[in-house]
Order: sequence, then structure tokens, then C-alpha cells
Amino acid sequence: MNIAVALLAPQGRRRDLPGDLAMWFFIFAELLVFGVLFLAYAFARARNVELFNASQLELDRISGAINTALLITSSYFVVRAVDRIRHGASRACVHWLAAAMACGGAFLVLKLVEFGAKFDAGITMSTNTFFMFYIGLGFFHFMHVVLGMVILGAVALKAWQGGYSAADHTGVETGASYWHMVDLVWIVLFPLVYVLR
Amino acid sequence: MKYQSQAVAKPYFIAAIGLFVGQIVFGLIMGLQYVVGDFLFPAIPFNVARMVHTNLLIVWLLFGFMGAAYYLIPEESERELYSPKLAMLMFWIFLIAGAVTILGYLFVPYAKLAEMTGNDLLATMGREFLEQPLPTKVGIVIVALAMLFNLSMTVLRGRKTAINLVMLLGLWGLAIFFLFSFYNPANLVKDKFYWWWVVHLWVEGVWELIMGAMLAFVLIKVTGVDREVIEKWLYVIIAMALITGLIGMGHHYYWIGTPSYWQWWGSVFSALEPIPFFMMTLFAFNMVNRRRREHPNKAAVLWALGTGVMAFLGAGVWGFLHTLAPVNFYTHGSQITAAHGHMAFYGAYVMVVITMISYTMPLMRGRAANSKTAQVVEMWSFWLMTVAMVFITLFLTAAGTLQIWLQRIAAEPMGFMAAQDQVALFYWMREISGLVFFVGLVLYITSFFIKGKEAPAD
Amino acid sequence: MKQATLLWLLLLALTTLTTQAATLSAAAGLTGSAVPLVLLAALIKGRVVIDRFMVLQHVDGPWRWIVLGWLLLVLGLIGYAFNLNPT
Repeated sequence: MNIAVALLAPQGRRRDLPGDLAMWFFIFAELLVFGVLFLAYAFARARNVELFNASQLELDRISGAINTALLITSSYFVVRAVDRIRHGASRACVHWLAAAMACGGAFLVLKLVEFGAKFDAGITMSTNTFFMFYIGLGFFHFMHVVLGMVILGAVALKAWQGGYSAADHTGVETGASYWHMVDLVWIVLFPLVYVLR
Repeated sequence: MKYQSQAVAKPYFIAAIGLFVGQIVFGLIMGLQYVVGDFLFPAIPFNVARMVHTNLLIVWLLFGFMGAAYYLIPEESERELYSPKLAMLMFWIFLIAGAVTILGYLFVPYAKLAEMTGNDLLATMGREFLEQPLPTKVGIVIVALAMLFNLSMTVLRGRKTAINLVMLLGLWGLAIFFLFSFYNPANLVKDKFYWWWVVHLWVEGVWELIMGAMLAFVLIKVTGVDREVIEKWLYVIIAMALITGLIGMGHHYYWIGTPSYWQWWGSVFSALEPIPFFMMTLFAFNMVNRRRREHPNKAAVLWALGTGVMAFLGAGVWGFLHTLAPVNFYTHGSQITAAHGHMAFYGAYVMVVITMISYTMPLMRGRAANSKTAQVVEMWSFWLMTVAMVFITLFLTAAGTLQIWLQRIAAEPMGFMAAQDQVALFYWMREISGLVFFVGLVLYITSFFIKGKEAPAD
Repeated sequence: MKQATLLWLLLLALTTLTTQAATLSAAAGLTGSAVPLVLLAALIKGRVVIDRFMVLQHVDGPWRWIVLGWLLLVLGLIGYAFNLNPT
């Protein structure tokens, strides 16, 4: 109920959350969905430890690690972009956002290569429970990276047109918050699926 | 009413209420057939009664949505409807096609109807909710496209708000998913797979957009809360509804021959489907608590709040009850499903359409709200129908639980018909609740004809 | 911004550590031994993203704890699930 009250609070006190509150509700909902999926994985594994451990060895851990680095780096670039717009530097903000999106794009390419290799090896969601989670979770997260890039792209476009300023840049913070969420989720997903055994 | 062309909503709403009466009458007939098997046989066999009951439900809700769209979109877009004439033409086409179809169901044997209407050209008939003959299906597509053209043109040339865009998106989704009713692959698994895309992707997906938009529209009007606040809620609710609903659909795929991963995806995502409904409940109550004005139409406010609560109970709680794969293994296709179906359709879609009718009808009749007396009668009808629906749901849940036990869990499982005999008492009680519901409906219709001192139009 | 850069390097280092732990334990055929370490690394990384990148550290009200609590709960339950059946 607190949440609902806060949502309705007058817009005056803008020292709460970076970005639009509606986006934060969306982020909380997304975290909930991913959280449930992660726990489903963890507890399904507990009943199938050998299968999960054996199947996990077939994953390309290096590719996963590079992807983690890419997302972390893109998150860092987004931090820089927000810093720039706080100083009113729209162009610099756009450059950092573009760099972040480039990292996101590289993530997607690498992920597709990884999935492609698995499909070529005849692995599908029906292969076993581990691969069901690996492909399902990976694909679900993949779609979030795509959505995050669309959001960043929209923000970058508006910034390019001079739509934000040092005083008014909620939109940049909103997009940044979503992108950090995509990163945060991967920070749990990578060790869970690729590493922990 | 701000724009003349909004008045086209009126015939749509009247037709919707008329068909609603038909739906309930056939529901009562069928409810009695559950316990008195040969009631009205052979004039109206059970399968025909069931078909008419469910088809009328869908058709009258569509009338309600269309009427709501024709009222809401001009007002949100701040301009007259692109073509009121086209809207009226579509009304008559839809009404006549609907009436002819129902008469066809009642007076022609179904197989003969299929033969007469070219089902051998393109076989689409015979599936639940999609029983309509081919010409009717084509007619629905034409009516929907004409409506979308009309409304899209209105929005394109007018003001774009979250509400009219979400409404339009929902209606486009409705039309697009209906196209899957023409797809009827020979493979039975695929047939079932895509069958779920029509009515169930409606109710768990795009209809939630329509519902959210309608509720937001009425709440802005009756509470005077800032549009900005309401629109934020609307965005969050629909985003959540789409994420959970589109993949949560997987809970229909558990046992129809699809890959077993659907048991995971269906369970996880559909378990989250109550969230958008819960948010709608919070939304409705918070907006009303923060209202900046006392709208004279108390009945509409009551319906709006009722929608929030009953949609969450019916769609959210009763859906969650049997959505997890290990539970659904036992419960699927039992009276639990029927319990959920009744309360979800009533709580979410029937009530939101009535909310809209309740708010707009007085305005279209030239007043801000109906007289006190009329509103009191309307509120009585609200409580009678809602409480009756709660009891229908509870009795069906009890029947379902017992049925599952006897038929699927007990040490010596009974056959289907033997188990049905054992739960007959609950069916009788459901039928009585149904009669109370019918009384509520009659009262509701009466409320339109009660005069008295009315609040003047703004 | 210098701080953000250092944090970014920290995140990269932790990712390398995590990956390395996995490679070593897989090579040695060990299971379970790296779990606490990897989860701790994930916790630190998550906290950096939440508090510093999302800048929730000094935000009023329940907001920060909704996200941070999510991280703690998810990682905690993962840790629990991985110890259910030590092999």
C-alpha cells in the first residue's frame, strides 16, 4: 500500500528514485519474474544435480563471461551518459549511450552465436530440464536486452535532438534504470546457469 | 456527452444488454439440464444451449467493447468520430449476423448448418467459442476492420492519450488474434494450440488492455484525479498484463501434446498473472479514495470498484488456484475450470462493460446521473448479481473439488457420469444462485426505466 | 566518475574471478566448493549495480530495499537450493 501511496504523492519531492516511477514498477515486476525463474532453476536442479552438472559442462563459459563483461561495461557507459546529461552535455550523453548500445549489440550477436552452436548440436528446449532453462531463460533475457536497447535508442534519439537538459533529464535516468536492471539480472543469471555446480 | 457522434454507443449498449439477457436465459436452461438431463430435449439439447450461452457472452461483450470504444475514443481524441454512419452500419450488420447465427444454432442441426454455410470450403466450425459458420466469421472480421479503421482515423486526427492508444492497441490485438479462428490444421495438437490464441489470448492478453483503458477512462471522469497519475498506472498494468499473459498462456498447453517445457513456462508466468489484476484493484480503490470531486453517479463508481475486486478474485485468485502444472494435472477440465470461467468473465469483462454503460448511458440520455431511486435499484442489482456470482463460483468450486476427488484421486475412481450424480446437490444450488442472478439482471434493466429527480448534465 | 570507473574495473575483476573459479572446479571435478565464493561475488556485483549504478544508495523509503532485498533473497535461496543435496 506504501507503494501505491507514494505513486500518488505530489510530484514535488523528486529526490526519490532516478527516473520515472512507473518504470520502477515495471522494473520491480521484471525482477519478480526473473526471481521466480531463477528459483525454479535452483530447485529443479536440486532434484537433478547430476543431469544439471553434466549438461552445464557443454556450455560455452567463456562466451558467457565475455557477455557479462559486455553488459557490465555497457552499464558503466550508461552511468557516464547520465553523468554527461547532468552537466547538460547532450552530445557526449549520446556518444556514451551509443557505446552502451554497441556493447548491447555485441552481447546479442554473441548470444546468437552461442544459441546457434547449441541448435546445430541438436539441443533444444526439449533436450532436458537444464537446457529448457538455459534456452528459455537466455531467450527471455535476450528479449529484455532487445527492449533495453530500444529504450536506450529512443532516449539517445531524444537527447540527440536536444530534448534533455541539465535541469530536465528524467527520461535518461528512466532508460538508464531499465538498462541497469537488465545488467543486474544477468549478473545473477550468469553464475547461476554457467558457473554454479 | 461532448461530441454528437458518441451517441452511436447507445444502440451498441442496448444490444449488449439484450444479448446478456439471452445469455443468462440459456445459462439457466443449461444449468437445469445438468440435473434434469432431458429438460427441453430435443428442442434445445445441452450442447446447443452451451454453445448459445458462450457465444452470446462473447458477442455481447464485443458489442459492449465496441460501444465503449465509440464513446471513449472521440472524447479522448477531442473530435467527432471519423464516420458515425459507418459505425451504425456495422452495428446493424453485426446485430443481424449475430441474430441469424443464433437462430441457425437453435433451428438447424449443427451438421446441417455447417453444410449450408460452406464449412467444406474452409473448415472452421465445431470448436468451442468458434462455432460460428464461416459467413459469420467473415462478417466479424469485416465489422472489426471497419470499426478499427473508423477509430484509428479518429485517433490519428485527434489528441493521442494513453487511454485511447491502449484501447486501440487492445482492439487491434482482438482483431488480429481472431484471425486464428480461420486456421484449422489437421494435426490435432496444432489445432488446439492455435485455438487457444483466439478467446484465451483475448482474455489473458489484449482484453486486459481494453479493460484497463475503460476503467482508467471512467475513473478519470468520476474521481477527477490527474490524468498523468492514472496513465502511469495504466502503462504499468498493461505491461505486466502482456508479459504474464502472453507466456502465461502456456498453462493451456500442459496436456495437449505440446513439449513439456510448457509446464514450466506456463506455471511460472501464469502464477504471476494475478499481479496486473491486483494492481487494477489497488488502482481503482486509490483513485476513488483520492477523488477530487463527488460525482453524482454513485452507481458507476460502485461498478468500477466492483470490477477491481471481482476481476482479481475471479481471474486472479480462481485462476491461480489451478494454474500450476502439478495441480492442474488433477483439476483440468473439471468444474473448477467452470468456476473460474464464470467469476473471471463476470468480474473482469462483464463488470467493466457495465461500468462503462453505467457511466455513459445517463450522459447519452442527457443527464449527469440517474435519479437517486434509479441508482438505488441499480446498486441493488449490482449486489444481487455479484453475490449470486460469488455463490455460483463457490458451488462450482465445491462440485469441482468433489468431482476431482471421486473421479481422479479416490482409491477406486468413479466414471464421469457417476461422479456427476454425486455432485448434483451443488448443481441445484448453483441453479438457484443463477435465478438470483437473473433477478438482479431484471432489476438492472428496470433501473433504466425508473424516473425521478435527475442530476443535471454538466 | 573516477569512482564509477574503479567500480567498473572491480566488476570486471569479479567476473574474471567467477569464471576462473568455475573453470578450476570443473577441471578438478569438484562440485559445491566454489558456491559460496561465486555467490558472494554476485552479491558484491549486484550491490554495486544497485547502489552505485542505479544510484539507489541514498534513496528514501522502501525502494532501495525492494531491489537489494530481491538480490539477497534470490542469492540466499539459490545458496540454499545448492546445499540441499550436496554431492
